[in-house]
Amino acid sequence: MKKFKFSPEFNTRVAATVARYPRADAALIPLMQEVQRELGHFPEEAAQALANLLGISYARVKGVLTFYTMFRREPGGRYLLQVCRNLSCHMAGSVKLLEYLKGRLGVEEGGTTHDGLFTLVAVECLGSCGTAPVMMVNDDYHENLTVEKLDKLISDLRAAAKAQK
Amino acid sequence: MRLKIDGKETEVKPGTSILEAAQAMGVLIPRYCYHPSLSVAGNCRICLVEIEGAPKLATACSTPCAEGMSVLTSSEKVRAARRDVMEFLLINHPLDCPICDQAGECGLQDYYMEHGRHKSRFPQADKVRRQKRRDAGKYLVLDNERCILCTRCVRFCEEVTKTEELCVRERGDRSYIDLKPGARLDNDYSLNIADICPVGAFTSADFRFRKRVWFLERTPSVCAGCATGCPVEVHHSGGAVYRLMPRPEEGFPAWLCDEGRMTYKSLRAPGRPAAAFCEEGNLKPAAGLRFAASRLGKLKPEQVAIFGSPFMSLEDNLALAELAAAIGTRNFCLHFSTEPGIKDGILKNTDHSPNARGLSLIHSAYGGYTREQFSEKLASGEVKFILGRNEEVKAALAAAKADIPSSVFSFSDEPAPGRACVLPAASHFESDCLFINYAGRLRRARAAVKAPEGVLPVWQAADRIASMVGAPIRLETRAAVLERLKSRIPELAGAPLADDKAEFELK
Repeated sequence: MKKFKFSPEFNTRVAATVARYPRADAALIPLMQEVQRELGHFPEEAAQALANLLGISYARVKGVLTFYTMFRREPGGRYLLQVCRNLSCHMAGSVKLLEYLKGRLGVEEGGTTHDGLFTLVAVECLGSCGTAPVMMVNDDYHENLTVEKLDKLISDLRAAAKAQK
Repeated sequence: MRLKIDGKETEVKPGTSILEAAQAMGVLIPRYCYHPSLSVAGNCRICLVEIEGAPKLATACSTPCAEGMSVLTSSEKVRAARRDVMEFLLINHPLDCPICDQAGECGLQDYYMEHGRHKSRFPQADKVRRQKRRDAGKYLVLDNERCILCTRCVRFCEEVTKTEELCVRERGDRSYIDLKPGARLDNDYSLNIADICPVGAFTSADFRFRKRVWFLERTPSVCAGCATGCPVEVHHSGGAVYRLMPRPEEGFPAWLCDEGRMTYKSLRAPGRPAAAFCEEGNLKPAAGLRFAASRLGKLKPEQVAIFGSPFMSLEDNLALAELAAAIGTRNFCLHFSTEPGIKDGILKNTDHSPNARGLSLIHSAYGGYTREQFSEKLASGEVKFILGRNEEVKAALAAAKADIPSSVFSFSDEPAPGRACVLPAASHFESDCLFINYAGRLRRARAAVKAPEGVLPVWQAADRIASMVGAPIRLETRAAVLERLKSRIPELAGAPLADDKAEFELK
């Protein structure tokens, strides 16, 4: 297995995170989230490195990593599109939105576009039924969506990505 | 603190779990994930018991006893819970008992008959399928379909060997035991995982499909793989040994190392002699002894050397010492220097010989040369004939750069080229014998299988040779050998050597 090294910034945050909990291993999930925020996903090699850092077993980290669906084990696109498909959004038309996105981006659920910009997933309730249908783009909510709004959103995101390049 | 289990009062130390308290009273609460030598996981749920006054059933393995508690271990509620847990555990179980090597010692079979007996509501076709026959390591095969995710194996690798090769992945009915990427279960204690696995998920690659377990006979004995002398149970059938399993004994952990478990293989090794092999060709074992005796008889006492060994039992070394005394040679060595100790913190000893302490007792009672002096003696050319254990005679001759005709006792398939006579000898699997381990504890090996026809333990062979050369040592029976051990070795004077059950430790 490849040797994994955390970034210096991450290492400085570890102590502060660990200090918030009564036991070092309780900081496991927050630290895994940190890693995912920094890298976009949680790589396999980081499991052993984090286990060593917290003084817990590899099995524990691996178990947590694979148990929670919100940890991504493979690198994804720059924008993670999470379309809610739970009851309220479903009734408000999320099925159509999902079909539209699949067509426009040319990917299936869980897939990443060839340009590495978008990863599309369907998720359960995002907790915003009042503004259904809802989709998250990375950490931001996009509410009361329609196909037109979605169309513009995707174009804007593409343009933003181009401008950043 | 005092509590009631099934209406019977008992007293336990604070911190004792209900399961342990019940077991101490002789009430066996079923368990899969609980193992006395591992941490408590509480995930299999089969040990649910009813605590009077508590709203829900509790897991007996993880609930500590409390003052005044009243526990019911087989109420209607508990029995129903166990049946339901069994049904859950068996939902995705493939039910391939006919081709499963665990059959006969399987926790699922046993508890199904005892607590389940339900009709499956899940058709075979709907079961989650998983990988079967995974090559998990040198000695292990993993079948993920049969696994009930008790995590004993994961905890063993974390807590005992600290090698962490295993983990549980994913969740719900998708979860399974997996190896760490790039890892194999090749730690020195891997076969314990096949033992502690309560189902047929981990099976021993060495043992599987060689014998159904209900045909096996069990003989309590000890491992002679190193100076630790772990308690083992020899599983055998039809005169062949199939496997060695750990046997519970005070002062020893519940494990065995892989190397120790494989020691039984020397018994049936293709090169292990069953007949004597002499310059004149193959002889029956008894004729081999006559040949050795005739060579000895032609020499002056000082021309004969006798070589004891820490790999042979107390009985064998005593008889060789007596033989040296009866012949009247000063050229004998009962010495072996070693620095024993547990090298990995679990079981494996730095000293590979099972009886170095025993040999040193005989050395101090009978004298003789040290290994270094003996080597000089061999190099001097005075010695014309050696009697000893094959491996050590070989090493001693190589060290002394000498080539001296010798009769050697062979327990294994170690080749013995150029020896005047190779005498087959019964091993500790084939004869009752005693060792003393590194800590001074008496270890009793018991004959589990018969030696090949005419093959004797070394002490008996030495007795026959002594009689043939006209210097009898009168050790015809094992009782006589044990008496002689007691009378000649002050440390063993009061030892209960003949009592099969008695324990003894050197002061």
